[in-house]
Amino acid sequence: MRPAILLVALALTFAVNFPVVAQFGAGARAPDIAGEWRVDSAEDPGQPPLADYLGLALNEAGRLRADTTPESIWGTPEYQCRPHSAPHQWRGVGGARILKDLDPISREIVGYRLQFMRSLDRPIFVDGRPHPPAWAPHSWSGFSTGEWIGQTLKVTTTHLKDGYLKRGGPQTSDMLTMTEFITRHDDILSILQVVDDPIYLDEPYVLSITYTYDPNAGPATENCSGSSFAENGGRDRHWVPHFLPGQNSGIGEFLKNQSWIPFEPIRGGVKTIYPEYRSVLAKSTTVNALTVPVSKSANDVARRIADQSPRDGQVHVMPIQGNVYMLVADGMNITASVGRDGIALVNTGSAQMTDKVLSALNDLARSVVAAPVANNCFGANCPGMPSWSSPYFNAVVASPRPSRPIRYIINTSAAPEHIAGNEKLAASANFRRAGGAAGFGGATRDIGTAATIVAHDGVLTAMSTPADKSAAAPEAAWPVDTFFDDFHKLSEYVNGEPVILYHAKAANTDADSFVFFRHSEVIAAGNLFSTISYPLIDTARGGTIQGVIEGLNHILDLSVAEYRSQGGTWIVPGRGRLSDTADVASYRNMLVMIRDRIRDLKKQGKTLEQVKAARPTLDFDGRYGSTTGSWTTSMFIDAVYKTL
Amino acid sequence: MRKLLLITVAAMLIGSTSFAHHSFAATYETGKSIKLEGEIVQFVYRNPHSFVHVDAPDASGVSQRWAVEWGGTTQLAQAGVKRDSLKIGDKVVISGRPSRVPGEYRVLMVNLTRPADGFTWGRGANEVVD
Repeated sequence: MRPAILLVALALTFAVNFPVVAQFGAGARAPDIAGEWRVDSAEDPGQPPLADYLGLALNEAGRLRADTTPESIWGTPEYQCRPHSAPHQWRGVGGARILKDLDPISREIVGYRLQFMRSLDRPIFVDGRPHPPAWAPHSWSGFSTGEWIGQTLKVTTTHLKDGYLKRGGPQTSDMLTMTEFITRHDDILSILQVVDDPIYLDEPYVLSITYTYDPNAGPATENCSGSSFAENGGRDRHWVPHFLPGQNSGIGEFLKNQSWIPFEPIRGGVKTIYPEYRSVLAKSTTVNALTVPVSKSANDVARRIADQSPRDGQVHVMPIQGNVYMLVADGMNITASVGRDGIALVNTGSAQMTDKVLSALNDLARSVVAAPVANNCFGANCPGMPSWSSPYFNAVVASPRPSRPIRYIINTSAAPEHIAGNEKLAASANFRRAGGAAGFGGATRDIGTAATIVAHDGVLTAMSTPADKSAAAPEAAWPVDTFFDDFHKLSEYVNGEPVILYHAKAANTDADSFVFFRHSEVIAAGNLFSTISYPLIDTARGGTIQGVIEGLNHILDLSVAEYRSQGGTWIVPGRGRLSDTADVASYRNMLVMIRDRIRDLKKQGKTLEQVKAARPTLDFDGRYGSTTGSWTTSMFIDAVYKTL
Repeated sequence: MRKLLLITVAAMLIGSTSFAHHSFAATYETGKSIKLEGEIVQFVYRNPHSFVHVDAPDASGVSQRWAVEWGGTTQLAQAGVKRDSLKIGDKVVISGRPSRVPGEYRVLMVNLTRPADGFTWGRGANEVVD
């Protein structure tokens, strides 16, 4: 929609609605938007021609991403049951159903739920709750809150997965925010949608859709029978279809029978969507010389990416599933299994955060394992209060035993940000590593109590090998239980479940692992996966791009989505937000696309500098790239180029 | 502005009518053909589309596993194709549309023939994948 048309639409919307007060007072009711709705019209067809970007303010990155992402990406195992992306969902066929969620006591409307064909329920909360923190999972429907402005429900949506803006190529990043204005005019429901994704768009995308009330128009029931086998990869279930830059045969194809349409505007771009573009069509100026009044994005992407892994000196605890929790500790993720057997940690974060991590873990242990209970037992043998003083001895004030429950520490690599807390956290445990003074008849050395540190043997090598005549880490921080094999099972169940370490060969380094909590369905991915940066590849320590991709493929093989390519197995990245199978697939897909582009350029005989000049990561740099800091885009391209 | 609006309207009118979970026109080269002669290794009879997996050589003669996209169960059932109409090991000849993505072993079914008994699909009325 052109900005001028948008302004008219907005003006009409609010002219109709502002006679009503902004919020509904006592006795006033929100308009009833619940019911079955039939899509009547849309500014865009459900399935536009392939590579038609007309009317889209695509930036360079958005255009490259659209050109290189094929429709057959749907055939990958992780996407076969993917619902339409939220920005596209209103335009899909099949009608819409809006349900009201009521408070069972007051009968106030506390939310709405939207249903579309091949979709997940999309809740819209109108009970005043805030949006989740940035490190919370993202979904296909996102997290929506609503507020009534006159007769219009304004819906704000965040926490969306990446997807597509419309069919035929244009993609969206997971940084988009979406604002909708939903207004009922008698039996007509109008939806004005603003999609703000500065990763791929130079200004927000605005469109309107109209629905008509129709009791028979609700979404059809449908199941998805997606396969774990790729529809399109021959024998390779990890096949990621994509076009190399310049390879997409669909670009301009639809113009063959529409030759009067000029090529330039179908490639999108903010300058092509304003009326001023007429002067370019009239050849009185060029698109480069044209200036247009661009609408600014309100989406601070850099801040939102950083917020997924905040460097705020705090520890944020997020329950994941089963026994397992994610601790976001000043930019580093720590995974913790907490239960009656103690605590098993995956990675320990930075040294300066150790006290706060320990405090958070002790709080968790007390609340999970030995939560205070009502004093309803009198006697010496009160059951069920293992770490609280018996009320028999202390009937007035119950006091918890000091909590020192860390039993295992697992390191996914020797990266300093994952091992720096080892020494202090291991020493806080009250589990004996060896037999102790009385153990084995005194035959073993008493090394006191400490958590058992487990890692691939390469981690021990990296931590203990003298560098400049001193080891990289103190001995008390070294792994004491190492493995050389493809995988390693902890010798016992931990908190009721198996815990398995899988070696990712030649990935970020030669010693990376990821950890699978097999009953809780949680995988701690370590440095294999990040939602805030390209993967760190330390070529000096044996890291390769192919190893990272294969490690991610292994994670995908072990993971199962709960429903419609979402949820199920949860994956904790080394840094960033809690993720699921589809998020890992998206990251893997990106790395495959970048690998293949750089490999192709290398095959053409391009030097490293020429490869960098070709900008093979252009469409992902806004999301994962960096020009400063310890791991820049340039360093990432170096590593990929060297290891292909 | 009028020209711009005309462009927009035109672009809206020429959209495909396919509303499958993916678009055929966007997935396959509908102006090209490919012929596969091989052996069925899997028949996935499902919605929204069925798939026949066939072991057949690629252009360089190397055997590949091809995924041939077919109609949904309703469409196939109306044409008399049932879950057990094809069996693993059946020798078949398939003509179809190749994928747009180079190196992708994916084909849109146009017609299928099983020479052993003359079973065929794709030459009758309405026998077009939709």
